[in-house]
Amino acid sequence: MTATAIRTEAGAPTPSPERRRRRPRPARAGLYATLFLLAAVYLAPLVWALSSSFKNRSEIFSFPPRLWPDPATVDNYTRLLSGQPFWNWMLMSTGVALVSTVAVVFLCSLAGYGFAKYEFRGKRLLFDVMFSSLAIPFAVIVVPLFILVAKLGLAHPLFALIVPWVAPAFGIFMMRQYTEQSIPDEILDAARIDGCSEFRIFWTVVLPLLRPALGALAVWSFLGAYNNLLWPLVIVSEPEYYTVPLGLQALFGAEGRQYDLVLAGSILAAIPAIAVFILLRKQLVSGLTAGAVKS
Amino acid sequence: MSAATTAPRPGSGTTRWAPYLFISPFFVLFTLFMLVPIGAGVYLSLTDWAGLGSPEYIGSGNYTRLFQDPSFGASLGNTAIYTVFALAVVLPASLLIAQALNARGLKLRDLFRLTYFMPVVLSPIIIALVFGLIFDGEYGLLNAVLEALFGFGGVSWLTDPFWARVVVVVLVLWRWTGYLTIFFLAGMQSIPGELYEAAEVDGAGPARRFFAITLPQLKPVTAFIAVTMLVNTAQIFEEPFLLTQGGPGESTLSVSMFIYRAAFQRQELGYAAAAGVVMFIIVFALGRLSSSALGVGRTR
Repeated sequence: MTATAIRTEAGAPTPSPERRRRRPRPARAGLYATLFLLAAVYLAPLVWALSSSFKNRSEIFSFPPRLWPDPATVDNYTRLLSGQPFWNWMLMSTGVALVSTVAVVFLCSLAGYGFAKYEFRGKRLLFDVMFSSLAIPFAVIVVPLFILVAKLGLAHPLFALIVPWVAPAFGIFMMRQYTEQSIPDEILDAARIDGCSEFRIFWTVVLPLLRPALGALAVWSFLGAYNNLLWPLVIVSEPEYYTVPLGLQALFGAEGRQYDLVLAGSILAAIPAIAVFILLRKQLVSGLTAGAVKS
Repeated sequence: MSAATTAPRPGSGTTRWAPYLFISPFFVLFTLFMLVPIGAGVYLSLTDWAGLGSPEYIGSGNYTRLFQDPSFGASLGNTAIYTVFALAVVLPASLLIAQALNARGLKLRDLFRLTYFMPVVLSPIIIALVFGLIFDGEYGLLNAVLEALFGFGGVSWLTDPFWARVVVVVLVLWRWTGYLTIFFLAGMQSIPGELYEAAEVDGAGPARRFFAITLPQLKPVTAFIAVTMLVNTAQIFEEPFLLTQGGPGESTLSVSMFIYRAAFQRQELGYAAAAGVVMFIIVFALGRLSSSALGVGRTR
């Protein structure tokens, strides 16, 4: 019984119809039950945060906890929005994330194309250097980088939050893999014969063909910049340049841990992230994994 | 000139410089914001500096102190626990989930996949906050459930050294499993179906097929994920920082947190830089060793 159940599991994704064997019903049910349970485990914190954000402070900590707020109140939201410069944080977060994302998408696809479609002296070494930089932990450079940025007078939050991170090695690696797999050399040669400059080839021929991977890179970059905590925590000291994670962290770390306000803020902050993710989810999955699946 | 058909001929004007130009932004930023800081970090690690005046050279003093500092030892130990856990539990768990998601004719696959990806979308703040509420020793959801089911609910999840570590590890499991699943699933879907059909004809059972076909075919994905996870978990910061503040005591302190505290709370910049250099050596060596052993990132 179980033997036949597992038999089909390891099967190919697209078997020919006559070979397709459904697993017996109870095993199917078990599989779905497990997957749904897992989905619940993944959604529970979001649901819990959503529900708690409509509870008043004492009810957040009522014991035993209740799923449905009673009484439900938007008080946390109104107090957050009236008492804290929340929209400024949002503006900083989304602004920084958007500008970084545009730069990341452009620079990574350009570099990925350079590595994928050209032969040049030192390519191997340069690629290895680029790839090795993935293994440099951020905590290692955070202290000297903080000092350098401050000493060079580059500590303006808008500069420091964006510029050092606009050409991440992971993005270049991903774009190189994708470009290698999806851009035929012939169209590049044809464009060259037509007299296109190298950059023009990239801009008008290559870039449009990279669209799915660009979407993935954009989501990856946007979410990374939008949710980043450690670097902003280190480099931004003026409250007027706080991003959402920084502002919430300040409320959360403050005496008394303002759970009620942070919950409301987290929910509002999650909306753009979830929207971006849902809009570009298809590209995210296919593009993100392109680099990893074939090495 | 074997490359002549696939790549522009070297020596033809701008074509020759184009690739260098295309990859140059990375190398400029890499030099300015990674190489120079690493060099500066090595120099700083040999000094005593609180950020004002000029650094005072003290030779290997910071390193001697570091290796006698029980906090640093604790942070190394904890980080090792997190990393080993990520590789030994999170990775296999995501492989299993991917295998389940890859079942023939599964409905709602995209919905499941979308849900499991949620932790990457959400800010670490909201995640830590909710985990804090769930595992709170006095008002927590988990204790309430335990109380209702078994009549006892007095586990001090976040204030007991052992359980606090368990909670951080659970958070790591929750946060990364779904992300890795996406990669494994993509890898599985790219395995040619004929391989399984041939094995089935030869009478290979499901377990046999998994070990003889799926696992070997997944080697590139697994290698990439393992190396990424190794480097990511070795620098774990947000989970313990937000959830337990490294406590109780130093039982959940990570190396990144140790560095953050030394540098930005105690202004011991030279000392923090020394901890950074030690971390760099360990992580970079492990990362490079494992990626060359597993063949990740070969040029072709």
